[in-house]
Amino acid sequence: MSESTARRHGLEPFLASAESAAQARVEIRVVSNRGFLNLRLDQGDGAAVKDTTQVLGQPLPLASNTCTAGDHRVYWLGPDEWLIETGADRAARLVSELSEALARYHAALNDVSGGHVALCVSGIDARTVLAKGCTLDLHPREFGPGQCARTGLAKAVVVLAAIDDAPTCTVIVGRSFSDYLCRWLAHAARPHGVHFSMVRET
Amino acid sequence: MNTAPRRWRTSAHGFNAMLLIECPWCGPRAETEFSYGGEAGIVRPPDPDALSDAEWADYLFNRANPRGAHRELWNHTHGCRRWFAVERDTVTNQIQRSYTLDGTAPEPGTGSGTASKLTAESDTTSRIGSGG
Ligand SMILES: [Zn+2]
Repeated sequence: MSESTARRHGLEPFLASAESAAQARVEIRVVSNRGFLNLRLDQGDGAAVKDTTQVLGQPLPLASNTCTAGDHRVYWLGPDEWLIETGADRAARLVSELSEALARYHAALNDVSGGHVALCVSGIDARTVLAKGCTLDLHPREFGPGQCARTGLAKAVVVLAAIDDAPTCTVIVGRSFSDYLCRWLAHAARPHGVHFSMVRET
Repeated sequence: MNTAPRRWRTSAHGFNAMLLIECPWCGPRAETEFSYGGEAGIVRPPDPDALSDAEWADYLFNRANPRGAHRELWNHTHGCRRWFAVERDTVTNQIQRSYTLDGTAPEPGTGSGTASKLTAESDTTSRIGSGG
């Protein structure tokens, strides 16, 4: 499974030609088994927000540029749009549960798992490397854990989120951009020492 | 919960490298995240058939192009993907304010009521069809 997924990502060159993890100041992990749902609904619709929260088991982030973590990760993308990241094997069930809960509201839910790749960028120089291609101020004072933004990274549209103080950041990018973005990351992170790997998250 | 956008800043280049545009929903973001949508407040005439060719061409092509204060549309392409309006000085590039189009933008099928409102607010040259 992970091998075939790697081929679809077009990321094998990076997985093979990496420095040893011990020397790397930037660690880039391609998370192979994530599912993604795009949710559109009016956040002014209190009942719909409440029902969604109930199904998710965690709050739908209503504040701009924030995400919530729990069983899933939910990223605020706009006043009526969210990206829900979950385990690939849980996506189908979540789709059916959410669809049922949202059937009576003006809402749209789409499984976009096939179109996205999640990269986990961590290590002591992670923020420095990301800042080379991003116009946001990525200092932890401005962009701390729990914050996210759909923005540009090296001219690719990404959802960027600060996960913890390690620091760990998640970069979610369109699958067709993942090869390009990994090449860019490999180049940007080379002076810092970079290690690529493929992981599965539960 | 504080829903005010965080004060994000662009990288410091030591000079005014690009516009910092405040998206009403996402807060200040770099110009590269946005697409320009031209002059704000252009309203499609409710009855195009009633116009002369000159009037229709004026609606389609002619813009105020002022030197100074300009109301213009921007789309946050790389962010929330929403349209909004910005007041920018075309001489200094200073942005006075950003605002949503809610309540002022003509909604599909609402006729000319909201359209008149938008045109009346416009500080640009006279528009066709504002009386609708
Ligand atoms: Zn925005």
